[in-house]
Amino acid sequence: MKLSTKNLVILAVFGTLWGISEITLGTALKTLNIPLSGVLLSAIGLMIALIGRIFIPKKGSTLFIGIIATLLKLFSLGGVVIGPMIGIISEAIVAEVVLSLTGKPRQGTMILAGSLGVLWVLVQPFVTNPLLFGRAVFVVWEKLILNGSQLLGLGNKAVFLILGIMICIHLAIGVIAGIVSWNLGHTLQKRVGMSSEE
Amino acid sequence: MRLDKSRESQNKSERIIPLGTLGHLVIFLWCLVLVLYSTFENMFWISGLCILVLTILYPGAWKSVINARRLILLGLIAIPPIFFLGAVDKIFLGVPYSSLGFISSIQIILRFLVVMMALEGMTSSVEISAMAGILERFGLKGLGFSMGVAVNLLPSLQKSCTQSWLILKMRGGLRKSWWKGIKLFSLTTITCAIKRAEEIALAAESRAFSPDKTRPWPIERSPFDWVVFSSACLSILLIIL
Repeated sequence: MKLSTKNLVILAVFGTLWGISEITLGTALKTLNIPLSGVLLSAIGLMIALIGRIFIPKKGSTLFIGIIATLLKLFSLGGVVIGPMIGIISEAIVAEVVLSLTGKPRQGTMILAGSLGVLWVLVQPFVTNPLLFGRAVFVVWEKLILNGSQLLGLGNKAVFLILGIMICIHLAIGVIAGIVSWNLGHTLQKRVGMSSEE
Repeated sequence: MRLDKSRESQNKSERIIPLGTLGHLVIFLWCLVLVLYSTFENMFWISGLCILVLTILYPGAWKSVINARRLILLGLIAIPPIFFLGAVDKIFLGVPYSSLGFISSIQIILRFLVVMMALEGMTSSVEISAMAGILERFGLKGLGFSMGVAVNLLPSLQKSCTQSWLILKMRGGLRKSWWKGIKLFSLTTITCAIKRAEEIALAAESRAFSPDKTRPWPIERSPFDWVVFSSACLSILLIIL
């Protein structure tokens, strides 16, 4: 990936915007303990990264933005937060892999990148909790179902229904993030008078 | 990552063995690999070894790990398995608990302590730019420059975001047509940020900056780095094999 000075600065700007959303909004949402706050944060972050990809349509640019945001998350209130950091970098990797499938960003790949990136929020505890804290997968699964049943107002027995609805919610929010970033990215390009090839 | 000068000088004065950036990174990865591969049989001495090494290298790390917020988080993660994981087969002071869950909880606590201490030690000793320097050497050319720009942009972009939000609030906020409001806020914030990026790029280019010609961000080196690296590799091999 060969980047010009301008490209590097633009990637830094988008990385900073993602970092700011994680530092300020992330801390506030986590403190208020709002349900699905991780999904909301991930959707906002991915939207910023996807808009960044529209501006710099080169392989690796989304990952670059993600790395900057991850490193900036270290400035977050409350010290080191390993979970969100792993979350940011994983979402960036997922989005990067999907976007790298096609050369130039397309609306379809943007939507796919957004939805899979947001879906990662649901999958992440199954990876990080057993690996980092030795928490059993079963416990993570149980917590997911309990949270889902509380959120949806369904009984604990309807495991597959809860899981299905949770996956659909995550995917839908990701799809919205993809569509919004596609539209917003092109509006922004017109507004600042900057094309993707620049 | 070093956030302020007082913390930096405090950490430097507290440190017994001066390690370079690679040394700190190796110690972090060593702890991570060891705790991930530990079983219940060897968990106690592996965690003990990690905590001992971390305490020698980063004497102040435990202070920031043992705080109310983290202890509450640890309690939320570690206590439920004692009662809910596996069959409730033992009683302590009249409280029934699961022995399997108890073992699992101890494992969680030890892993949590080691991971948090290692992370705290590394982040308090290594600068963000040095991390970017390491990543640059792995192919992400220009990351050091971008990180420098990002760190300098952080306060001004934060201020610009807050101002855009306040202006939007003064003009009615998100009460009516909230979607349009959010869209306008995002457009304004990102446009301002991109305009600023153009200025920075122009300033860098006028100073003859070129990503192709710049050397990767220098990383701190120490003669102890190789000793740490070799010892870490050897100990991992011995423990895993």
